[in-house]
Amino acid sequence: MDELLLLSSVLLLAAGQIFQKRGAARHLAVSRDAWAWRRALSSPEILAAMTCLGAGTAVWLAVLYRMDVSKAFPILSASAVVVLVASRLLLGERVSPQRWGGALLVAIGVALVAAS
Amino acid sequence: MSAGTRGAALAALTASIVLSAAGQLAMKLGMRELHRAGELAGADWSALGPAVTWTGAGLASYAVSMLAWLLVLARYPLSYAYPLLGLSYVLVYAVATHWSRLGESATPLRVLGTVLVVTGVALVSSTRERGDEA
Repeated sequence: MDELLLLSSVLLLAAGQIFQKRGAARHLAVSRDAWAWRRALSSPEILAAMTCLGAGTAVWLAVLYRMDVSKAFPILSASAVVVLVASRLLLGERVSPQRWGGALLVAIGVALVAAS
Repeated sequence: MSAGTRGAALAALTASIVLSAAGQLAMKLGMRELHRAGELAGADWSALGPAVTWTGAGLASYAVSMLAWLLVLARYPLSYAYPLLGLSYVLVYAVATHWSRLGESATPLRVLGTVLVVTGVALVSSTRERGDEA
């Protein structure tokens, strides 16, 4: 149950990041005046991001109710790995071997903390 | 990027990191208070006060860090900016295990795992390639 809640949080928060990046890049990269913010905050990308982050946060509170934050929070860094993979596959960003190596370390660290 | 906008982006990044760590700790305190309130016999609603206050403060801190994050994302690619948020793991870990109010135990495996996470995150975020800045 703890694992399922954590996994849901990781995936929802990672999806929220991807949507936020798409929204910010599309609406706030060139100008950041009031109109740009208004367009950004009402865009489908940011609304989807808000939904994912809201749901992910609600699930996260349930995780914190059940687990130490010093254990649960490092495990949440698994979302960095998910985001790295997604930013390569979905956003087409370049990811160097060094970053993949870092992601591997994060994954090992998450496994150790999860086992603690 | 000019010096001014670079400074603003850096300030937004710092705010994101610190406020997200503070938010996590406050939310944990809120959930801890909720746990305690649930253990009290009878429906003493006043016991819920601290839980609501801490959780609310945590969520507010988290929300402001999200707004700062939007500014960061407008400047940097996600694969560069996101791993820097990993610094907040250090802050959360240090406070959760050293602040008596939370008093969580620092097990060897958890310390090692967190060190690996932070190292991995640093490795990921130290990569600076052409095209890294949007």
